[in-house]
Amino acid sequence: MGLQRCKFSNKNMSIFERKKAIKLSADTAMASARKGLTCWSRALISNRDRPVPTTTRRASSACKKIVKRSRRIRRTAKCGAARKGQITRSIAQCLVRKRTQILKSLIPGGEFMNEVCLIEETLDYITSLRVQVDVMRSLASASARASEPHN
Amino acid sequence: MSSRGLRSRQSSGVSRIRDDQITDLVSKLQLLIPQIRRGRSHKVSASKVLQETCNYIRSLNREVEDLSHRLSELLASTDIDNDQAAIIRSLLM
Repeated sequence: MGLQRCKFSNKNMSIFERKKAIKLSADTAMASARKGLTCWSRALISNRDRPVPTTTRRASSACKKIVKRSRRIRRTAKCGAARKGQITRSIAQCLVRKRTQILKSLIPGGEFMNEVCLIEETLDYITSLRVQVDVMRSLASASARASEPHN
Repeated sequence: MSSRGLRSRQSSGVSRIRDDQITDLVSKLQLLIPQIRRGRSHKVSASKVLQETCNYIRSLNREVEDLSHRLSELLASTDIDNDQAAIIRSLLM
């Protein structure tokens, strides 16, 4: 039913337009199957007609500066093991922050979620994406079989 | 002063519960990602799990794009009289 929500009647579409229509139907079906129970599915349906914003690289460059600075401190400081542990922890925290930002840009509606919500939504989103891939693979193999010439 | 002490104790209690929640969720995520699950029974760092999660989501999205392209080519090439192709085409378009 979700697939039929986007109906395109134009038969003479280019391959690119047809591909976009198919992907749109598949995404709408995937999101509709969650019946509004997850944030990502609601965000995907509401963002359907909006252009996708490009992600910024500011967070990654700031993180690289922090890592470089802490490497310099490690080389020049005559510090004990406790100080080194602190620097390793801050690098780890920085990496987690950077990768959380990337994950937020990948999940629909992710930029508005806190960490707990983000990971819960990610678990559900990955499961749904895997189902989407399986369904589309089955459709593709069925189409390929249907297009074979009958002898 | 005592209320400040109580508040900081409460907030540290809340943040401990939150950290446990996050650790639990990250371990669930670890089970879903095929790259990490293979032959790794010990704990993987959170940043590694997040990195592999992002890579996995990107590869799944790429697969959906490729399958969409393949389906669009298949549906374009079949002739309209074929019943099965017509059903599939009406489902997707």
